[in-house]
Amino acid sequence: MAFVKAQKSKAYFKRFQVKFKRRRAGKTDYRARIRLINQDKNKYNTPKYRFVVRFTNKDITAQIVSASIAGDIVMAAAYAHELPRYGLEVGLTNYAAAYCTGLLLARRVLKMLEMDEEYQGNVEATGEDFSVEPAESRRPFRALLDVGLLRTTTGNRVFGALKGALDGGLDIPHSEKRFAGFKKDDKQLDAEVHRKYIFGGHVASYMRALLEDEPEKYQSHFSEYIKKGIEADDVEEMYKKVHAAIRADPMPVKSTKEPPKEHKRYNLKKLTYEERKAKLVERLNALNSAAGDDEEDDD
Amino acid sequence: MPAGHGVRSRTRDLFARPFRKKGYIPLTTYLRTYKVGEHVDIKVNGAVHKGMPHKFYHGRTGKVWNVTKRAIGVEVNKQVGNRIIRKRIHVRVEHVQPSRCTEEFRQRKIKNDQLKAEAKACGEIISTKRQPEGPKPGFMVEAATLETVTPIPYDVVNDLKGGY
Repeated sequence: MAFVKAQKSKAYFKRFQVKFKRRRAGKTDYRARIRLINQDKNKYNTPKYRFVVRFTNKDITAQIVSASIAGDIVMAAAYAHELPRYGLEVGLTNYAAAYCTGLLLARRVLKMLEMDEEYQGNVEATGEDFSVEPAESRRPFRALLDVGLLRTTTGNRVFGALKGALDGGLDIPHSEKRFAGFKKDDKQLDAEVHRKYIFGGHVASYMRALLEDEPEKYQSHFSEYIKKGIEADDVEEMYKKVHAAIRADPMPVKSTKEPPKEHKRYNLKKLTYEERKAKLVERLNALNSAAGDDEEDDD
Repeated sequence: MPAGHGVRSRTRDLFARPFRKKGYIPLTTYLRTYKVGEHVDIKVNGAVHKGMPHKFYHGRTGKVWNVTKRAIGVEVNKQVGNRIIRKRIHVRVEHVQPSRCTEEFRQRKIKNDQLKAEAKACGEIISTKRQPEGPKPGFMVEAATLETVTPIPYDVVNDLKGGY
């Protein structure tokens, strides 16, 4: 009895309203998106930029995006997989790498808009809360943080990227409540702890701890670090160098890719409207001529 | 208890969202920009409760006279008694669509400007005025055979035999 009743009837499907495509895919939070994109009508076509940060298992994507009816337009993007160019080869998805990616994107955008001289941001990363001050000629570049579907807990890597962008010189409204090192009891940001995270101090202390207690786990977990010859004490120096390299040359490298090879087609190619009509005319002509012949034969 | 005449009375179906279009409204409504002087249609979106116009204005078209942060001022004609008043209301953008009433005019303007520019280049004089469709021209009917149809006299006997 229960077996039969569990079916979804035709009526169910007829009445079913699908959610938006990106909601079905679980990729876009429309409630947040509406509020991020909505621009005051009396500002007409002034774009509202979002600082989009997304994490995959092995990469970090940071983009500056503005919305349009045809589709979102990405002004500039920075990926964690570009960091090897600046000297960071391991740990590409940790808090420090997120900071580097945010910093890279900020410097890139400012260079694109030729504002990088005016807005240096925070050159020495101290972990303290830093907001850009407006300079004389142009106002700072404003963007809004878009976390996507992340749970915004204190110490999340997305706020590492946010700190990187802030120190890079972007104006992003924020509060220090969610940076790593914020103590809920004192309601204050411990700048020392935050600085430790920015320079990978948490990774370094784990490396030291494992080295002492469980050397085999250290070998397996930090194998890439060992291969590149990075020890727990080198980590901070490495990140300092990466920050400097990013500030020196933030522009992206255009990669030249060969055009993709032609593959053999295994299914029929879809015909265009003109081609289908032409085919129909051909068939009709053939039919008519065949009918004409038959009639002549009959006669 | 009597029915009541509140602001949203008798709008059960008027303000209802269409079938299978409930829930979040697509984002283009928020991305559109409106300038003063443009024509807009007012179509109430029942999902957004703020900034709703009165049900009278649903389906009206008016001109934009003011643009604020989230809403637009629209000037709509309303007949009150023996005169028409230009009413100015403020409506949130979710209840407004750009009107296509001037689309044909604008396109014709562009085309006419083009034609006039071309004619000026050649030196011809053209009239870009629209002409109403006149009576159809006369035509000869080709290859027609005349068939005269007359009614056949009613044959009582035969017809009755058939369908009685």
